[in-house]
Amino acid sequence: MLTVSDLSVNYGPVHALSHVSIEVPRGEVTAVIGANGAGKSTLMRTLAGLAKAAGGSASLDGNPILGRKSEDLVRMGIALVPEGRSTIPELTVEENLRLGGMWRSRADRATSVGEVFDLFPVLGQRRSMGAATLSGGERQQLAIGRALMCDPRCLLLDEPSLGLAPIIVTQILTLVKRLATEANLAVLLVEQNAVTALRVATQGVVLNLGQVVMAGPAAEIASHDELRHAYLGY
Amino acid sequence: MTNFIEYLLGGLGSGAIIALMALALVLTWRATRVVNFAQIGQAMFTTFIALTVQEISGSWFVALVAAIAAGALLGVVVQYLVLRPVKRSDTSGAIIATFGVLIALQAAAGMIWGGEQEAYPQPFNTAGISAFGREWPISVYDLVVIGVTIGLVVGLSLLFTRTNLGLSMRATAFNPEVARLSGIRVSRTLTIGWAIAGVVGAVAGVLVAPISTLSPNSFDILLVFAFTAAVIGGLDSLVGAVALGVGTGLVISLVTGYSDSSNAPVVALVLLALNLLLKPDGVFGHTSSRSV
Repeated sequence: MLTVSDLSVNYGPVHALSHVSIEVPRGEVTAVIGANGAGKSTLMRTLAGLAKAAGGSASLDGNPILGRKSEDLVRMGIALVPEGRSTIPELTVEENLRLGGMWRSRADRATSVGEVFDLFPVLGQRRSMGAATLSGGERQQLAIGRALMCDPRCLLLDEPSLGLAPIIVTQILTLVKRLATEANLAVLLVEQNAVTALRVATQGVVLNLGQVVMAGPAAEIASHDELRHAYLGY
Repeated sequence: MTNFIEYLLGGLGSGAIIALMALALVLTWRATRVVNFAQIGQAMFTTFIALTVQEISGSWFVALVAAIAAGALLGVVVQYLVLRPVKRSDTSGAIIATFGVLIALQAAAGMIWGGEQEAYPQPFNTAGISAFGREWPISVYDLVVIGVTIGLVVGLSLLFTRTNLGLSMRATAFNPEVARLSGIRVSRTLTIGWAIAGVVGAVAGVLVAPISTLSPNSFDILLVFAFTAAVIGGLDSLVGAVALGVGTGLVISLVTGYSDSSNAPVVALVLLALNLLLKPDGVFGHTSSRSV
């Protein structure tokens, strides 16, 4: 389980996150939703070791994670799929995958490559092609595949739906949900696309201006009309 | 026409050395986005070390190995002590810092070995080969230089395409954040990149010394040619550095043959200026794939 308690992050004088507490259990998807600038990406980047926390604590299965380097966190089992195009277009599909989890044994990595190709067959078909030739949805699959190569216990997905067609988004998120259950992953999914995110999530958290305004079962949040109008804008 | 071919053949050996030096510049650029002007100073310094080892051991090969070891070490030291602290604040500062290192290395070499021009022993025959009833403008030594260059280029491409370290280095160059999130130890990878560049530069130094002379400043002109080749090649491209390095060697040989060797640096700078005006990304640059 990924536990975040009382986490605060500042960018200079700006409070990007104030006293945020979230629990992300293994085996299910927890969605963090909120408008632009709510602090969603900051939360993800802090948990992945790319931004510095000003206060609070966070742990994965009881081991503290704040203040550690990204390189070490990923070895502990926290894999972030960052927002946007997080594949390297100059490398081939297979090279992009092989970047993940280089510290693992050759045999383990070969098994993982096979699993990723089973999960995303299109990546297997295009393994030796340049990542630049992939479509947006395929690139997102590749980015998730690279994170899975790190043999994570906790998967952080930052806006995987960004710039993708709705049908692709549904496909990818359904797969993420399946992954969480089958591989017993703690998945933290950050989304602006609240409807789709809450459909695959078990628990939901609404973030506004760096603060948690509501947390609870995803279905409850999805049907909360006032909340939707106030913070999610639909 | 015969002259033309002779000049081209004569430029191959020096072209190979320029290619190596350009390769070293490209390696540090790819690793840290810094043009390392100290590279030539590092090469000069390690060549002096090689000369000292050569005088003690009497072996050209042992001296080469010493230069390679010293080159790797010096690359690590420069990157660790100078680049890391400066780069943290800004990149242009880092480039200026490499100039500082260059001047410091030249001063240190002057203090240790003196400012005189030293002759570096010639391990192979540098006279033109006689075959088919005539003398050719290419020597056994040129062939060795070309062979070593080809060997290094093949070795580096295998390293970059076939090994985990090579993949880490490429990923770190293209997108350090993604590399870090994948678990690659980015700063260690960058330091290794500088070490490899140091080795390539050191080999270039030991190869060029026997056909020029060795003094704290005698390699400076090589930096001009290598920098020209690296920039025209796109700074990012190993293939570009090698192709343009050899190309620059050939152009210099033609200019020297048809006019005078003192015109060569001017021609190199004119080519550099034209390149920056007409195709600033370089001939082998791949900005297009990044904008996807």
